[in-house]
Amino acid sequence: MIEAARSPFPLLASPHLALLSLPQLFQTIMTVQTLQPSKHPLASAIHALESGEALLPHSERNLVEVVGILKSYGDVLDAYSINLNYIADHQCLVFFPWFKYFNGEFSVQKLLRHWWHDRINYEYAEYCMKGMFWHGGGGLDAYLDMAEFHQRIEPLIQYKFKYNPIILGLHKLFPEFLPELVRQMCLYSGLGQFWRVMSDMFLSLSDRYDQGEIKTIPDVVQHILDGLVAAAANPITYSPTVGKSSFEIIPESQGITFLMDTAVPYVEAIFFRGTPFPGTVSYNAQAYQIPLYQSDFAYGALYADPLPIGGSGIPPTQLMQDMRHFLPDYLHEIYRTEGRGETDLRVKICESFQKSMFCVTTAALKGLAPFPMDTPHPAEQSQNRQYLEQWMNRFTTSRLSQVRGGI
Amino acid sequence: MLTTLLLLPLAGILVLWLLPKDMAGERYQLMAMVVAIASFALALVLGWQFDVTQPGFQFTEERVWIETIALTYQLGVDGLSFPLLLLNGLLTIIAIGASDRHITRPKFYYILILLLNIGVVGAFSARDILLFFLFYELEVIPLYFLIAIWGGKRRGYAATKFLIYTVFSSIFLLAAFLGLVWASGISSFSYEDLRSHTLSLTPQLWLLGALLIGFGIKIPFIPFHTWLPDAHVEASTPVSVLLAGVLLKLGTYGLLRFGFGFFLDAWTYLAPWLAIWAAVSALYGAVCAIAQQDMKKVVAYSSIAHMAFILLATAASTHLSIIAAVTQMVSHGLISALLFLLVGVVYQKTGSRDVTYLRGLLNPERGLPIIGSLMIMAVMASSGLPGLVGFPAEFLVFRGSFPVFPVPTLLCMVGTGLTAVYFLLMVNKVFFGRLPDYLAKIPAVTWGDRLPSLIMAALVLWFGLQPGWITRWIEADVTYLMGEPLAPNMASSQLSAQVASPALLPEVVAIAPTLGDD
Repeated sequence: MIEAARSPFPLLASPHLALLSLPQLFQTIMTVQTLQPSKHPLASAIHALESGEALLPHSERNLVEVVGILKSYGDVLDAYSINLNYIADHQCLVFFPWFKYFNGEFSVQKLLRHWWHDRINYEYAEYCMKGMFWHGGGGLDAYLDMAEFHQRIEPLIQYKFKYNPIILGLHKLFPEFLPELVRQMCLYSGLGQFWRVMSDMFLSLSDRYDQGEIKTIPDVVQHILDGLVAAAANPITYSPTVGKSSFEIIPESQGITFLMDTAVPYVEAIFFRGTPFPGTVSYNAQAYQIPLYQSDFAYGALYADPLPIGGSGIPPTQLMQDMRHFLPDYLHEIYRTEGRGETDLRVKICESFQKSMFCVTTAALKGLAPFPMDTPHPAEQSQNRQYLEQWMNRFTTSRLSQVRGGI
Repeated sequence: MLTTLLLLPLAGILVLWLLPKDMAGERYQLMAMVVAIASFALALVLGWQFDVTQPGFQFTEERVWIETIALTYQLGVDGLSFPLLLLNGLLTIIAIGASDRHITRPKFYYILILLLNIGVVGAFSARDILLFFLFYELEVIPLYFLIAIWGGKRRGYAATKFLIYTVFSSIFLLAAFLGLVWASGISSFSYEDLRSHTLSLTPQLWLLGALLIGFGIKIPFIPFHTWLPDAHVEASTPVSVLLAGVLLKLGTYGLLRFGFGFFLDAWTYLAPWLAIWAAVSALYGAVCAIAQQDMKKVVAYSSIAHMAFILLATAASTHLSIIAAVTQMVSHGLISALLFLLVGVVYQKTGSRDVTYLRGLLNPERGLPIIGSLMIMAVMASSGLPGLVGFPAEFLVFRGSFPVFPVPTLLCMVGTGLTAVYFLLMVNKVFFGRLPDYLAKIPAVTWGDRLPSLIMAALVLWFGLQPGWITRWIEADVTYLMGEPLAPNMASSQLSAQVASPALLPEVVAIAPTLGDD
């Protein structure tokens, strides 16, 4: 579905509602009114998007939660992206990367802290990388199966193992093994670069909120949308260092970009599809308790049940556990004084996080819409309606109803 | 010393009564708690001095009270009553600790709790059947008020039903006691005096019949049980703890002390029927428990089923089974108290005990994970899982009863198997699965809420690992309980031997040389 929407970014070339003259504005309102109300089960969300609102209704509470949680998420993503980029750049074709989470700064003290688990759960970042790797999609995924990719990694493999004939022999026997490892490294790098942008975006959102520039949920959505638009064409490249040599695996000339080749596949893989994992979903694949096709998966962040959070080793728990270290004081205070205080902090974080992810999704939906949401033309409105209703079909089993209902 | 055990709570009642009315509930609670702890500490001191190798009553006291009616103030404890005395002291502390800090009319409430304590201590330490009866009646009054004032929505109905049943129980008991004295032709209500007189079988059967009905209502066995589920459901958690933990034991204690102790011929005669009654009661209680939707009713019917094991063991009348009966009394007291405490916490936090409404309470963040874990432990203990106190108690019951009554014992074993069924059904429904949204904001459990349950759980585990700490109290007294009236009865009444289960005879014969040696 996202593939079908791959088109020039529409908002870049479209007039904005605020730029309309008064007669045009009047005409817009009239035409919006002439569009029949949607009969979709999530019609209220569709109408909200059409009228310039977000999937998450605005309220002061929602705003505080979303900005606060995105601030902590930004801090976590900063750590994740640094580590993913480190692994991609310096652990390429290392079969046993024992100290991959140390970012090249190994010390006994850090090792003890690691074992004591007083650290960031980088495993969650890898879980997301694996999710993207598994679900695929986008230009990056397509490039990894091209002949050029194989041509570019072969020198890297030969250089890396020039003194290791056994591995080179095995490479001849199993020619897909080492390329698969490099593909994985490309995903490390792609996600690391994507999160670098998102981290900065979320932290700047927090700064703008602190300065009084962000006052509503639509402001949050607009900030994210602007950030996505600004970074949309950023090239995604990958040149790992082996020894003292650098190898260009993903060249800029491939035209792999931030938005369509990492952001969109990320949203599809992590927000929507996800992966069923023991602890939150009890499944038996042989009994068809999970969908037959990956494209039908609905285990992503927008569907995640916040209540099972709390089992050690379960990916959402790891992210919530990481975010609790970076909560801004105002949000932490709210959590502390409500419900069970610190005891169910991770559930509260997950609930807030889910709200914030619906804001990010709103920005993505608006950005990928065939026409601006405030278009005055009925034909365009109709296409937008069709586009939104298609998306909402995927949201029917998500947590959208609960989030919108304030549950 | 035993009088002090009665005077301490009495002094506490007086102090509470003299305290001003407008004090915070916590102050009354603290006062009651201090008294309860002091009483329990004194009981522990007695336990330290108690000679487990010596059969018969210890720490005896005797004074003539009302000479005209031959009422004497005779106290004493033996291996049968002392464990129950300790259990009562412990559960009184637990009940006070588990009481709502913001309870209405706290002064009256804690006075009644202490009065209940006096009634139970008096009944367990009496050595005079009339004195026993007075204390037995005394505990009815506070219990009635505790249900009627601080109970649930149908508290009036439940309290009245309890009162009516208990009054009938008392009538039968009084009739049996007076009949015993009349038939014995002596002018004393003393245990020792009455035990030394042997009645013929027919009056024994009549008197034992009255006792069985009287105590059968109290314990209760079917068909006298219907007051208990209502009383439990309507009673507050601390009252349920006391009711299941120790008050029902007055019935089984009475059966052992009087039914078995005074009317051994008739007991032997009726034993096969008593064993069948136990099996039916155990199975009926278990099957009813499966059908319940209210957690408290599940525990209440479970209580009926498990109390039947005591009847089975007493009916078997072997050395081992009598030890088992006492062990099962203590075990059931601990486990049922723990179960009621846990159900109470669930109800306090969720406002419901309905197994069709509750779900997913083991959720680590928003549920009741520690309470749920303790509940799983408690139901495992009740099901007889090794390592917990239910196992040695039930094992002793079945081991001691099987040689005498194999079929009823097997049926009771089915009953204990059904314990796992109904409790695991309950646990599965209430604690597993996804916590529904309507329960996702239940208040947190404080350590104060957990403490009573944790103490009980620790004891359930400890006595499961060290069952000797329970059985050691009764071992010496089994011979005393069975032996002294047994030898002359067995000699004089061939009928008993003929009608009793043949399997009983080797056990009886086995005891006789022991007595001869003594």
